[in-house]
Amino acid sequence: MNIYSIDTFNKEFEKLIKKNAYKSLEQEIISYFFNKPIEQLLSGTRLNNSDTFPYIKKRLLGSGGFRFYFLILIKEENLYLMFVHPKTGSMGAENIDDESKSLLYKQVLNCIETQDLHLLQLSEDSKRLIFSKVE
Amino acid sequence: MECLTHKGEIQATFDNVRNISFNEKRSSFLDEDAMNSFLDRILVFKSELKAKTERITEINSKLENITWYSDLNDDSLMLLNDLISVAKDLHSSLVRQYVKLTFIKNKGVAKSEIKEFKNAIDELKDTYNDLDSVFFSLPEMPEFIETTKKLSLVS
Repeated sequence: MNIYSIDTFNKEFEKLIKKNAYKSLEQEIISYFFNKPIEQLLSGTRLNNSDTFPYIKKRLLGSGGFRFYFLILIKEENLYLMFVHPKTGSMGAENIDDESKSLLYKQVLNCIETQDLHLLQLSEDSKRLIFSKVE
Repeated sequence: MECLTHKGEIQATFDNVRNISFNEKRSSFLDEDAMNSFLDRILVFKSELKAKTERITEINSKLENITWYSDLNDDSLMLLNDLISVAKDLHSSLVRQYVKLTFIKNKGVAKSEIKEFKNAIDELKDTYNDLDSVFFSLPEMPEFIETTKKLSLVS
C-alpha cells in the first residue's frame, strides 16, 4: 500500500511534532499506518458512505490522543493522510465541523487529480518518516 | 486574706483530659480495620468507575461501527435519529455524574480513573455528533456530494 499526504496534513504534522507533548505523533503514524493490509485500516468513523473510497476519521492513542482524517482508494491501494489534530494539550481541539470535513474532502480530490502529493516512507531504521514530493 | 487555689477547676480540667486520653487510647478512629475498610471502599469506587468507563467505550465503538452500514432506508434512519437522541441523553446524565466527581478528583482520589471516565464521555459526544454528520448533515451538503461523485470516477 502507498501512503501519501497532502499539504494540509504536512503543515499540521510539522506544527505538532515541534511540541514535546505531541512527540509521539510520528511513531503513532508509523505503527498504525505502515506495514499493514488495507483491511486493517478500515475502522473508525466512515464519513462518506463509500465502500470503495472510504473517507475515515480515526482516533489514535485513545480518547485523549490524536484524530486522523484520511481517504483510502481501495482498488489502487492508496491511502491519503488529509489532516490530524490532537484532542488535548495546547493545540488540542474538540472536533472539526462539517464544513471543514467537506473542504478537506474536496482538497484531497484536487490533490489526487493534480498529483500535488507527498509520498510517505520509512527511514532505514523505521523510526522516522520521510516525506517526498511526488513529481 | 483568703487564697484562691482554683483547685476545683484544675481538678475538673484534669478529669476532662484524663477521660479524653483514656477514650482516645481505645478509639478505633485510625485503627487498622477502619483504615482497611476505607481503602477497600476506594478500590471498589475505582473498580466501579472503570467498569462504567468500559461500558461507555463499548457503546462508542458500537455507534462508530454504524457508520460502516451502507444504504440505510428511511425506517433505519428514523431509528438512528432516535439513537442519536438517546445517546445525547446518556451524555447529559454522565456529565452530571462527572461534575459530582469533581470533589473526589480535587482530593487526588482515583484521578486517572476519573480522567478516563471524562475522556470516554467526551468521546461519546464526538461519536453521536459524527453519526449525525455522516447520515444527516454531510449527505445534504452539495460540495460533499459533488466530491463523492468525482471520486467515484477517479477510483
